[in-house]
Amino acid sequence: MTKKCTSTPKTPAPWVYSEKVKEHFLNPQNFLMGDEKKFKCDAKGIIGNPICGDQMLMMLKIDKKTDTITDVKWKTYGCASAIASTSALSELAKGKTLDEALKIDAKQIADYLGGLPKHKFHCSVLGHDALKAAIENYREKH
Amino acid sequence: MIYLDHSATSPILPSAKKAMENALENFPGNASALHTPGHLAHNLIEEARENIAKLINADPEEIIFTSGGSEANNTVIHTFKNCEIFASAIEHPSILEPAKTYAKKLHQIPVDKDGVINLDFLKKSLKNTAKNTLCSVMLANNELGTIEPITEVKSIISALKSSDNIYLHTDATQALGKIKIDVKKLDIAYLTASAHKIGGPVGIGILYVKKGAPYQPLILGGHQEHGKRAGTYNTVAIAGFGAVAKYATTHKTWETYESEVRPLRDKLANLILKNIKGSALNTPLSLSLPNILNVSFAAAEGESIQLYLDMLGKIIVSTGSACASGDGKPSHVIMATRNDAEVAHSSIRFSLGLNTKKSDIDAVMKELPNIIKNLQGISTIEVKND
Repeated sequence: MTKKCTSTPKTPAPWVYSEKVKEHFLNPQNFLMGDEKKFKCDAKGIIGNPICGDQMLMMLKIDKKTDTITDVKWKTYGCASAIASTSALSELAKGKTLDEALKIDAKQIADYLGGLPKHKFHCSVLGHDALKAAIENYREKH
Repeated sequence: MIYLDHSATSPILPSAKKAMENALENFPGNASALHTPGHLAHNLIEEARENIAKLINADPEEIIFTSGGSEANNTVIHTFKNCEIFASAIEHPSILEPAKTYAKKLHQIPVDKDGVINLDFLKKSLKNTAKNTLCSVMLANNELGTIEPITEVKSIISALKSSDNIYLHTDATQALGKIKIDVKKLDIAYLTASAHKIGGPVGIGILYVKKGAPYQPLILGGHQEHGKRAGTYNTVAIAGFGAVAKYATTHKTWETYESEVRPLRDKLANLILKNIKGSALNTPLSLSLPNILNVSFAAAEGESIQLYLDMLGKIIVSTGSACASGDGKPSHVIMATRNDAEVAHSSIRFSLGLNTKKSDIDAVMKELPNIIKNLQGISTIEVKND
């Protein structure tokens, strides 16, 4: 018996990234517009290099008693996937303890975003390293 | 949609579409066959060849059909296998990559900040060249629009004792239809052109080879094009190319580009410079094709600008950012002219077409300043006041 083909041809996606990336690119969360001094943070970390095309700054407010990230702001110079992944990371990190936040890796960010193109993975998902740098910087001082 | 990426590919012109539909429906024969449908297809191809030859003032027998500009460029470089090749640092990769592979030695001709080749370098280094040397300088650059001084290059070659040994090639893929091209006046040995930058189909190009110039086929295994390029004739695409070539010649499109497109392009450049902090032109307006404008925006990354323009304003442009390139490297053109990766990452190319209107420029200026302001606002890089 021959099986009838019922699938309809898919319309090619008009956008190279996932819908979730699009959402975070068009409506990024927790970014800081303008001068970074506007946000009084307890810790900050920066990673990347504009020469390479991507740079991220993560700024954290931390509750000293509970060791919890109560607020996150970020700045990014980079492509759509860099903006979206930094925005996604800020959502993932908020409310987490510092130990929990240290466990966030690039894969987790990419999964949260519904996947990223392979060639974008290493260059644009750098935010967790900036987050790590911020936490380490905080722990050195406290 | 506001389409400002004509230098990547230009939407099909109605006359090309009509010619292709005609070829598809009424000329099904293999153009190499001797039967009637074959012969009719052959005639259609020869008519297209004549139209293309006329556009660049060549003889039809000097035109070889290829699969596009890249194949034409590869073919001319391959002809000079194991020879010395001079090529500008901002040539298309389909010149530079095969030249690195095939040449005995590749001499890259440096360019200035506008993308104009260094003629003194050429004058000095072309002396004492060996037999059969190729010099390849594009007629106009694809990213900046900069027009290269081909006439001066030819004068330099002609003044050398070894001038008979040096063959001049120009890649006219971007220049075709935008400026008047006359291969006899330019006195060049080879010229590359492609259909899809002027409203023809993708997948068809030509290599002009002056009578008597050295030639080695790249694709072997067939008698097509008098053995110069094997492979079944792409009758439909060739008919489309012929139709746009005829359109360009009849309408003198280069005059329309000059009188209508250039003022729009210049207006966009001035509005950007006036209204957007941190903007700087990479295109030298007075030395360039009338339709290309390349601009960099400090602290804002090109792929993000490109995608915001697309998503928010349905405005289609391209970028020299590494993030948008296939090889993960910033534009080699901007690196050669500015030697600054940040400038390359933040570069946007607007390429206008014959149908671009003032309202399209207004639409860009409605979206672009806010996009740049927002990207600069969230950027880790500070925009200097200049």
